[in-house]
Amino acid sequence: MKGEGSTWLAAGLLSLLLVLLPLLGFGLLPGLALPIYAVNLAGQVMCFALLAMAVDLMWGGAGVLSLGHGLFFAFGGYLCAMHLLRSAYAATHKLPDFLLFMGHGGFPSWWRLADSAPLTLLAVLVLPALLAFAFGYVSFRSRVNGVYFSIITQALTYTAMLLMFRNDTGFGGNNGMTGFHAIAGLPAGGLAAAVLLASLSTAAVLAALLGGRALLASRFGRLLRAIRDDEPRLRFLGYDTLWLKLAAWCASATLAAIAGMLYVPQVGIINPSLLDPTLSLEIAVWVAIGGRGGLTGAILGAVLVNVLKFWLSAAAPTLWPFVLALLVLLVVLALPNGLLDLRNRSRAWLLELAPASLPRRRPAR
Amino acid sequence: MSTAIAVEALTVGFGDFIAIRDLSFHADYGTVRGVIGPNGAGKTTLLDVLTGKSRPRRGRVLLDGTIDLAPLDEVARALAGIGRKFQKPSVFEALSVWDNLDLALRLHRRSLLREVFAPAAAKAAPIAALLETIGLTALRDQAAGTLSHGQKQWLEIGMVLVQEPKLLLLDEPVAGMSEEETAHTAALLHRLRAPGRSIVVVEHDMDFVEQVADAVSVLHEGRTLFEGSMAEARGNAQVIEVYIGR
Repeated sequence: MKGEGSTWLAAGLLSLLLVLLPLLGFGLLPGLALPIYAVNLAGQVMCFALLAMAVDLMWGGAGVLSLGHGLFFAFGGYLCAMHLLRSAYAATHKLPDFLLFMGHGGFPSWWRLADSAPLTLLAVLVLPALLAFAFGYVSFRSRVNGVYFSIITQALTYTAMLLMFRNDTGFGGNNGMTGFHAIAGLPAGGLAAAVLLASLSTAAVLAALLGGRALLASRFGRLLRAIRDDEPRLRFLGYDTLWLKLAAWCASATLAAIAGMLYVPQVGIINPSLLDPTLSLEIAVWVAIGGRGGLTGAILGAVLVNVLKFWLSAAAPTLWPFVLALLVLLVVLALPNGLLDLRNRSRAWLLELAPASLPRRRPAR
Repeated sequence: MSTAIAVEALTVGFGDFIAIRDLSFHADYGTVRGVIGPNGAGKTTLLDVLTGKSRPRRGRVLLDGTIDLAPLDEVARALAGIGRKFQKPSVFEALSVWDNLDLALRLHRRSLLREVFAPAAAKAAPIAALLETIGLTALRDQAAGTLSHGQKQWLEIGMVLVQEPKLLLLDEPVAGMSEEETAHTAALLHRLRAPGRSIVVVEHDMDFVEQVADAVSVLHEGRTLFEGSMAEARGNAQVIEVYIGR
C-alpha cells in the first residue's frame, strides 16, 4: 500500500481537529474561539471529504469512476431532512411550506416512518446501497465499464434531479426542504448543534479513513486493484468480478449517503441542486487534484478546493471558476497523480534543475 | 491416455470473417500439445473458445470427454480447471509478485466470500513452493509491474499453475524472450508435465515447440492442416508450403 505515512499524518490532523472543534467552538481555551460560521464551514468541508473518499474508493480502488455520487449524497440528505421535518412538526405543529403550497392537509401517512431517528439512520445505511445495488447489478452484469459507466451514472443523477424538481413528487420540489427545528434536541442553527455536527462529520471522516485503509490493504482491496489493472485476467482466474465490484460500489454509496445525512442539517436545507451533475463532476475534480487511490488524497483535494472556494466566493466571486480551472490544468499537466505525488515528483524536478547540488540517494539493495 | 479436451466440428466467425471452420482438435492428459501455424490461422481464437472468451457458431467443446462447456462462462471454466496464460503478459502490475500469486491461488472455489476472508497464512506454503518452481523467490515483494518481460511471463505461468489446472493453455509463452529465458521456460514446462494435466502450447518458435511438445497440430486458415510429431511436420510438404517455407 502506498502512502502509509500520509495516512497517519491525515489521521493525526483529523484527531486534532476533533479535539479542537469543541474546545475552540465553545471558547474553552482562553483567547481562542472559533466563530460559529467557521465551525459550520469545517463540518461542511468534512462532509465533502467523506463524499470524495466514497468516490476514491471506487475510482482509485477499482478503477471505476462514478460521476453520479451526488445521487447517493442527496439520497442520504433527503432522508435526513424528512426526519428533521417530522420532528419539527412534532414540536411546532406547523406544516412545512411545500406541503401547504401543494394543498396537502398533512404529511403523507408513510412519512411517519421518518419519526424514528434509528429507523432513519437505518434507511440512510440501507436504501442508497439498495439503489446502488440495483443500478450496479444491471450495469456491471452487462459489462458496462470505463467511460460508458461514468456517463450512465451521470445520466442517472440527472434523471433524479429532474424528478425531484417536480413539485408533485412530494419532496419539496424546486424549493426543497427547509425549516428544521432541532437537531438531536439542540436548536437548529445554534452553536451546540454546529459543534456536534462538525465533530460528528470529522469523526466520520476519520473512521472512514482508517476503515477504508484497512479495507484497501486487505485481500478484498487487492482484488479491487486487480480489477483496476486487468479485470479480464481476474475473471480468467475464476473470480466473478461482478460481486466484488458490487460490494465496493454499495459501500461507496453508503459512505456518500452518510456524508449527505451529515451535510443537510449543517446547511439547513436540501433541494435538487445537490443532484445537479456539476456537483458530481466536482467530486471527481477534488479527488483528481488530491490524488487517487489512497483516500488521503481525496481528503486533501476536497478540503483544499472547498476552503479555496468558500474563501474566493466571498473575496472575488468572479475569479473562482478561473482558479479552479487553473488548478485542474496544473494537476493534469504537472502532477497526473494529484498533489500527493508532489513529494515524489519534486525530487525529480530538483535533480533536473541542479543535478550536482543534491545529496545523492543511496542505491536500494 | 484419456482425452482432456476435445473440440468437434468447430466454426467460429466474427461478422463475415470466419476465423475457424469445421475444426476438430483434442489434447490428452499427461501430454504437451503444440499448436503452430501462420498468423491468422486461428490459434488464439481456438484458445478463446476453450476459455469462453469467444462463442462458437457451430460445434462442441468437451472437457474430460463428457462436460459440454457451452453453458459455462469464463469464470466457471477457470473454476472447472481450465487455466490460460495470455499472449501479452497479464499480471496485476500494482501488486507484488507474492500478492499476484495470493489472488491466483484459490482455496475456496465455491465461495467468493470465504476466498476473500481466507487467512493469508493458509496460502503461504503453496505460494513459497511455487515461487521456487518459477524461480522468482528473490523478487517476491517486488511490484509485478517492475519485472522484466520474461519474469512477467513466468509469474503469469505461475499464477495459472497455482490453480492446478487440468488443462493448461499457454499462448506464446516464449515470445520476446532471450535464448536463455527460452531455455529456462522449456525446463519449466518439463516440470509442469503431470499425469492429470494436459498442456497446450501455441507458439511460433518451432525449436521450442520441438523441445517441449509430444505432438503438434498445424492450423491453417481455421482448419487443421497436419497432426503428428514436430519432426514429421517439418518434413510435410503442405506444412512447408503454408508455414515453414515462408
